[in-house]
Amino acid sequence: MLKESTHIQQSKLAEYCRNGIMPKDLLGVTAENLHHYRRLVFNIALDTLETAYPITHSFLDKEVWDKLNLEYFSEHKCQTPQVWRMPLEFYDHCVKKDIQSQLNLPFLNDLLFFEWLELDVHTMDDIAYPAYTEKGDWMNDIIAINPEHRLVKFSYPVHLFAPTEMTDKTAGDYFLLIYREKESGNVQFMDVSILYAYIFEQINNGVLLKDVLVEANTLFQINDITLLKEHALNFIKDLKQRNFVLGFLKN
Amino acid sequence: MDLKKHIGIGFRKDFSEELLESDILKPAFIELAPENWIGMGGYWKKQLAKAAEKFPITCHGLSLSIGSPDELDYEFINKIKKFMKEYNVKIYSEHLSYAKCDNAHLYDLLPIPFREDAVKHIAKRIKEVQDILEMPLAIENVSYYTPVAAEMDEATFISSIVNESGCNLLLDVNNVYVNSFNHKYNARDFINNLPLDKVSYIHMAGHEQISDTVIIDTHGQAVIDPVYDLFEYTTHLLKPVPVLLERDFNIPELEELQTEITRMENIVAKTWNKKPAIA
Repeated sequence: MLKESTHIQQSKLAEYCRNGIMPKDLLGVTAENLHHYRRLVFNIALDTLETAYPITHSFLDKEVWDKLNLEYFSEHKCQTPQVWRMPLEFYDHCVKKDIQSQLNLPFLNDLLFFEWLELDVHTMDDIAYPAYTEKGDWMNDIIAINPEHRLVKFSYPVHLFAPTEMTDKTAGDYFLLIYREKESGNVQFMDVSILYAYIFEQINNGVLLKDVLVEANTLFQINDITLLKEHALNFIKDLKQRNFVLGFLKN
Repeated sequence: MDLKKHIGIGFRKDFSEELLESDILKPAFIELAPENWIGMGGYWKKQLAKAAEKFPITCHGLSLSIGSPDELDYEFINKIKKFMKEYNVKIYSEHLSYAKCDNAHLYDLLPIPFREDAVKHIAKRIKEVQDILEMPLAIENVSYYTPVAAEMDEATFISSIVNESGCNLLLDVNNVYVNSFNHKYNARDFINNLPLDKVSYIHMAGHEQISDTVIIDTHGQAVIDPVYDLFEYTTHLLKPVPVLLERDFNIPELEELQTEITRMENIVAKTWNKKPAIA
């Protein structure tokens, strides 16, 4: 029902807002006012990204940041109708285009994802807590965990140090536990070792701690189950103190 | 609660805590963009729950893109429907513009060509949205800085869509003022030419004049006297409807926003409480 000629006019204006290239044959416009649309549209996108990625924004040279945003908004077609979710598409775009190699910043993907995660965990939809009890046995009962969390692996310690401190020497395997506190809604971060990441992942999957430790003892070649148990219990009790571990699942 | 004759305010995260914890600002209702809240949990969901306990909520969308050449986003419309049910929202409005084109969201409001085929296209889409939501949609006259490929005047375009679709009209008085300045027409004549019997809601806001010839609709300043005058003029032509103050940027002390609300309350008290509707 919409004529192609009308569609074309709409497309030309929208395209101009995305890439800033003044369109030809846009009919009946007040030429001197057209730039306001490009400015207003692009500023919304830019503000949204600078709010979502404050560390990356302040770390990158302004020229580099601006160029990255200009390319993103002109090349990528934003899919979400909710502008606050759009920064995830920016991250995906940077990964897909391998921007970190182009800029010779091998930690860039990690940094962007770390910044996105903070926003994501803070705003993600509520997840129902499991029914749990405070009474139980850490080794033999299924441990109940705050479901509003993410466990992620990074290749650079972007959650520990400023981007200026990332070097080849800092590359490695890093694990970050991010969770949302139930009452305050605040986001908390916890750097964990690969061993604790493994233990956490297993108990989060409902495996009994006693079984996890047997596996971990072999997998990590610890060969001292008593010592492992002591450390694991300290770790779990620390999580309990933070109200991240809730207690024990009710049958 | 019947919101007619009452003044509400746009619910913004910047001042949500102060609004909810104090009685400085006393709107009769709050309006929010569902896009900014759908699927959001944690702290903000709790704030929204508190807001819903304290105030009736109306919804004013940003991304429906009713004037887009693209297909409607049915999944998104159904999310809006669910959200409005959850928060007992009885009024839903959107902009007569497009914010998505050729499968790319732009997150701002672009002017639609004032053309007959666009009228038919949009009227059909409005009907479809209303059918899905099972409630009327009110469309807002938007501010614009240039027409694009227009073949009719703005008032005719708006009226045709309202008449053809059967939807309601959200009359943004500030937008009329901004457009009358930018496009050099008489604001009162423009309002007289709208289907005033279909006006179901009013928006008021501030703007910024950035040159001798251009005003930008920023929602970042206080409402100016000529817009209040236009508002008072408009109230004489309409049946009572809810009125909303929009303030999105440069948020002042809440006392200042309350002063603006009080001024609007006084205007509607003068007109709508004295005599019945004439529209």
